[in-house]
Amino acid sequence: MSETTFMGVERDKIDWKPAIDYTKCDYCMECVKFCSHKVFEVRETEDIKLIVRNPNNCVVFCRACSKICGPDALSFPDKNATSQRIREIRKEESNG
Amino acid sequence: MVENYAILPCNGLDKCAGVISRELAIRLCENAKNEIICPVYYRVAEAKYNKIAGGHSLLVIDGCQTRCASKLAAEKNLKISQKLTITEEAKNHNIELKSNLRLLENENALIEIILSDLNNAQDQGRRSSVETSSLINFEYETYQNSKFIFRVPKNPEVYFNENDCWACVVGNRARIGVTDFVQQNLSDILYFTPPEIDAEIDQFGEVGEIESSKSVFELISPVSGKVISINETLVQKPELINENPYELGWFAEIGLTDFESDKELLIGFDKYFEIMKTKVEEING
Ligand code: SF4
Ligand code: SF4
Repeated sequence: MSETTFMGVERDKIDWKPAIDYTKCDYCMECVKFCSHKVFEVRETEDIKLIVRNPNNCVVFCRACSKICGPDALSFPDKNATSQRIREIRKEESNG
Repeated sequence: MVENYAILPCNGLDKCAGVISRELAIRLCENAKNEIICPVYYRVAEAKYNKIAGGHSLLVIDGCQTRCASKLAAEKNLKISQKLTITEEAKNHNIELKSNLRLLENENALIEIILSDLNNAQDQGRRSSVETSSLINFEYETYQNSKFIFRVPKNPEVYFNENDCWACVVGNRARIGVTDFVQQNLSDILYFTPPEIDAEIDQFGEVGEIESSKSVFELISPVSGKVISINETLVQKPELINENPYELGWFAEIGLTDFESDKELLIGFDKYFEIMKTKVEEING
């Protein structure tokens, strides 16, 4: 089971997930080993061997996998913009 | 001056950052009473290097975030007293590293900058926290799952985010740290990187980092404001975070700028305790 809300906001409404830069990624799969939330999926037989399979499993504001990625191939949305968006959604929902 | 250090560099020969680590280590050993630990020879000459490491403070130079040198230190049970990562330093100083394995202008410039940063930091010493006592008397609720015990403070002054970090708010300042959930998951914490004093922090921004042989964790700040002090004791004794991450293992104190607004995105004990229990059950079944 994964979290379905974050701070009372439906997880699906929050855009927070790693983006893989395939020009840098060397498929070492350290990120897959590191993250326990099954965000990534390994696809051995495909050309693109790693994808973000379950973006909503990614813990909002976590960027831990990018820290262990040697070639620095993982990036995330802007934290301020994201927390701003969460505030807005909460406001909209409490008003509506 | 960086003096009397044992220097353990990454020495990765097939990456630019590795080659820079090696060069930096050599430079540090040329000019002062420092000793190098060769990570490759360490595999076969354990006694020699254990002796060097035993008699000096240890400076670890990782090339990239794969952290091979840090991992080697952890594997050999060495206590790291200072460390740096070349790719991070390059980023901080806006120097782009390519894939060349010979040191060119950029790489040499970076080495000079790091050397002078290291020497300045050493000369100035670090500003530390004056007050180390607890801000409040913590009261805990505990949750046990197999042999692991998780304490969570029940005090109303303590707020949490869903990233397993806490803030104890008294007046216009907050002490911040990680919860038992983080420290239990990392197990033995070997290294603490404090944030910079005076750094401006956004809510959910990263404030300091801890590392065990298993993993790295960055504290995700529950509050916004300015770093007014750090827990200097943790630099020498990061294991205090394992002992008690609330009273002994706090990371830093933040001068609050907009706590009323921060509070909207924080939770109290009741909610965090439930969320944490669910997480522990998911991991341990
Ligand atoms: S850790 Fe980085 S380089 Fe390795 S597979 Fe993941 S994204 Fe790619
Ligand atoms: S950011 Fe955290 S939760 Fe998200 S994929 Fe990376 S390690 Fe997993």
